[in-house]
Amino acid sequence: MAVATDHHYRAYTPAPLTKSDIDEVEILFGGLHWRAERLLQAVFENLGYNARPLPVATKDDLLTGRELADIGQCCPTSFTTGNLANFLRSESERIGAEQVKDRYVYVTAGSCGACRFGQYHQSYELALKNIGMEQFRMFLIDQGQPDQGATAGGGLNINMPLTLGTVWALLAADVVQGLEYRTRPYEVNAGQTDEVVRQCVDELYEVFRNRPAKGEKWGSIVWHLSTNYFVKALREVFRKFEAIEVDRLQPKPVVKITGEFYLQTVEGDPNYNIHRWLEAEGAEVYPAPIAVWLDYLIRFQVQSLEDYVGVDKGARAKVAALKSVQKVFGWTYNRMRAAFGNIPHEMPDQYELRRLAAPYFHHKLSGGEGDMLVGKALWTHLNKKAHMICELSPYSCMPNTMSIGAMAGVIGQYPDLLYAPIEVKGDAEVHALSRCQMILTEAKKRAIQDYVAAMETTGLSPETAKELLAERPEMRRASYRVPHRGAAATAANLLYDLADMTAERNAA
Amino acid sequence: MAKWFARKPSAAPGPRPDLEARAKLRIGIPKLLNVWTTHQFWLGFFGALGVPNNRVVFSGDTSEEQAREFGRGRGTVDCCYPVKCGAGHYGELVFGQKRKIDILFSPMIYSLSSFLQGHVADSLACPRVMAGPENIKAGFLKERDVFAENGIRYVSPLVSLAEPAIVPKQLYEALKDVIPGLSYKETRAAVDEGYRTLKGFNTEMRARSREILEWCARENRPCVMVLARPYHMDAGIGHEIEVDLQAYGYPILWMQYFPIDDDLMQWIFGPDMAAGHIKSPFDIDDVWPSSYSANTNEILWGAKVAARVPWITCAIRLTSYECGMDQPTFTPVQQIIERSHTLFFSFQELDSTKPAGSVKIRVETISFYMQQSSERIIEQKQAVTPPGCPLLPQAESKLATAKAELAASA
Ligand code: SF4
Ligand code: SF4
Repeated sequence: MAVATDHHYRAYTPAPLTKSDIDEVEILFGGLHWRAERLLQAVFENLGYNARPLPVATKDDLLTGRELADIGQCCPTSFTTGNLANFLRSESERIGAEQVKDRYVYVTAGSCGACRFGQYHQSYELALKNIGMEQFRMFLIDQGQPDQGATAGGGLNINMPLTLGTVWALLAADVVQGLEYRTRPYEVNAGQTDEVVRQCVDELYEVFRNRPAKGEKWGSIVWHLSTNYFVKALREVFRKFEAIEVDRLQPKPVVKITGEFYLQTVEGDPNYNIHRWLEAEGAEVYPAPIAVWLDYLIRFQVQSLEDYVGVDKGARAKVAALKSVQKVFGWTYNRMRAAFGNIPHEMPDQYELRRLAAPYFHHKLSGGEGDMLVGKALWTHLNKKAHMICELSPYSCMPNTMSIGAMAGVIGQYPDLLYAPIEVKGDAEVHALSRCQMILTEAKKRAIQDYVAAMETTGLSPETAKELLAERPEMRRASYRVPHRGAAATAANLLYDLADMTAERNAA
Repeated sequence: MAKWFARKPSAAPGPRPDLEARAKLRIGIPKLLNVWTTHQFWLGFFGALGVPNNRVVFSGDTSEEQAREFGRGRGTVDCCYPVKCGAGHYGELVFGQKRKIDILFSPMIYSLSSFLQGHVADSLACPRVMAGPENIKAGFLKERDVFAENGIRYVSPLVSLAEPAIVPKQLYEALKDVIPGLSYKETRAAVDEGYRTLKGFNTEMRARSREILEWCARENRPCVMVLARPYHMDAGIGHEIEVDLQAYGYPILWMQYFPIDDDLMQWIFGPDMAAGHIKSPFDIDDVWPSSYSANTNEILWGAKVAARVPWITCAIRLTSYECGMDQPTFTPVQQIIERSHTLFFSFQELDSTKPAGSVKIRVETISFYMQQSSERIIEQKQAVTPPGCPLLPQAESKLATAKAELAASA
């Protein structure tokens, strides 16, 4: 006699998404900034899927997330869970729950190990149960596997064209964001940068949407690596930045954003709109490119293989192969940067980050950003890439609390590193921003010090600099790159640049 | 390439073990986090290297006094209690020893040799467990190097216990400068000994749990399963809640040491395997697909066991203040248990102070419910368990089976 097992609890498994379903459904996704989401939408559409990003998460979503899932979540979980639940609820009111379950599916990255990121699905499941939508289909994509094949039912194929399209879209979105943040703080006509960026993203959306099909695997890989298709498109849109006039002779503090992936990436309520807030407070924001996270994922794999060097015969060759992939990845990013005049920030070398973090945080410690938070803080500080670090740390985040603790040792040794770890709860904005404000005040002083030091070294006064710039209109365009001359402040670097040019001219 | 690896097997022998010097070493290990389920590994390992067990000193149980006396002012961050109390453990080993230690050994345990390994996605430690030592150490280095001032070598290797092949390399790199005359070969043998000792200890503990279970089955008496992280065995972290319960006469089983003999596993999980829900008794994919974290996986597995064994009529869940790993598991664990009619009680947000009054009341409540309902729960669960329970002597097993079948058909 078979013993009954049906009464036991079982986890949620999504109903299959079949090939015939896929034309009828819209794929929902989210958790990035709007530029990346728009380009991702194009990647899905290019492959014949209907897709749309969820609206930017709001404080209401946070409250819904907290209400629907188990207590004590980290705030990114609450935001993303609430965001999905509220969208489904509002759509249910509009078209009915039955329609919602047939018409939408949710796709998210997951299954990546130690921290709660790998367990988000549990919160989603609970939320779906609590809003009576257990039938809703949700799929997790393993971000470590580029070619994982079809999801249950065969409707959605996580293959090379999708993965490569996603990576290329993220890199393109990064460079757009990088250029944008180096431009807007200095724009002469308020609002022009936003307008141009919107146009650029719209054009790039079409470029990704019309990406030619080049096969399911090797064809697609070879084409992505060899084509000029994306770089050409980026060069085209870069021209639009020539129209933006900038005044970079403003000594603004440069603030490097680091922190937990979701919080450093999104732009909205989940991180108190910190990017915009910092700009409004007079800062130049150095955003966190998604590319650095992808590069870190590769480094993490390399490290796992390195452990076996000397133990397993093939390990050394595997390390070399994966490092080559990483080089190609960096090269692809740099090609896109070059299309934008190399103005977007470079990607820090992962092994340099590891070396810098090593005395304080072991490179294998996983979850969240691992040793990168310590590494990035030191890299930024020692190379004078920014005046301060604003680390966005989610309330109740496991790995972040650990690296913040380790930063105590870093600050002990580098007391002049301006470090603002901001605990983000989602609803304690005033407290968090005022904390940031305090450190920003000091960063502003440093930006002015940089500028004064540049004036002293170059002998250029702001008035003379202005006159020189008047003679060189190309240097007043957003498309002009001010080289990094050892100062964090852009205005100071511009003075050094002008002085060099003048010296060259005089010599000639 | 590391020198030790470049050496061919036929090359000159490596350094000579300086056994005399090693026998004089005193090694302090903070009794923290996953050291609770790996301490036997460390005893076996250092023992094999010639450091006598009585010279491997563990810090005491966590206590408020320990934190006050030795850890004050050294905390670097506000987080879950089991990590936060680490400063007190370190401080006790640095400042609180009559005979000074030479080495403070605090492994960053990256992954664990869980009994579920091979059946789950991974066996990682919680991010805070693995990084805990980096965090605690910062509190002893931020102004000056407190370890060096006290003549102590601080050694904190990252150790992937779930990957035995690389553990010798990890430990050799970390210890070659502090254990006199250490060679790689010797480290490898000591690691093997560590695993052997740990396995031996676990086997013995599981055998004792089996005796308890057999007694319960024979006498048809209820027992309690504790679902918690290993460090909840620390009186200062788990507050000995299960001990209070035991005082009411209920035997206690810790999920970590539940017997995993094949006969028992087949009996418990056979029906689920036959129905295609799982591939093996240690597969938890049916309840927890993101099975990356060793301790979390074991809690989920323990809940499944508790739901299926008739004599486990109550499960208690212990969770520490601000535990991030436990949070997503609250609902699944509770549902696994309660769907099987088993009693479920959860003690959450445990921190430094034992809420003695409320624990007493809750323990009384648990005992009351167990008294009231255990008989019924055992019957209900027996009705849906397969025949041939290996915990019962054959004859009794047959009788119980016949009874269960009768009950089911009634
Ligand atoms: S990194 Fe932190 S905030 Fe992000 S999912 Fe993990 S625990 Fe949550
Ligand atoms: S499992 Fe929970 S209590 Fe243990 S270290 Fe991790 S977060 Fe802290």
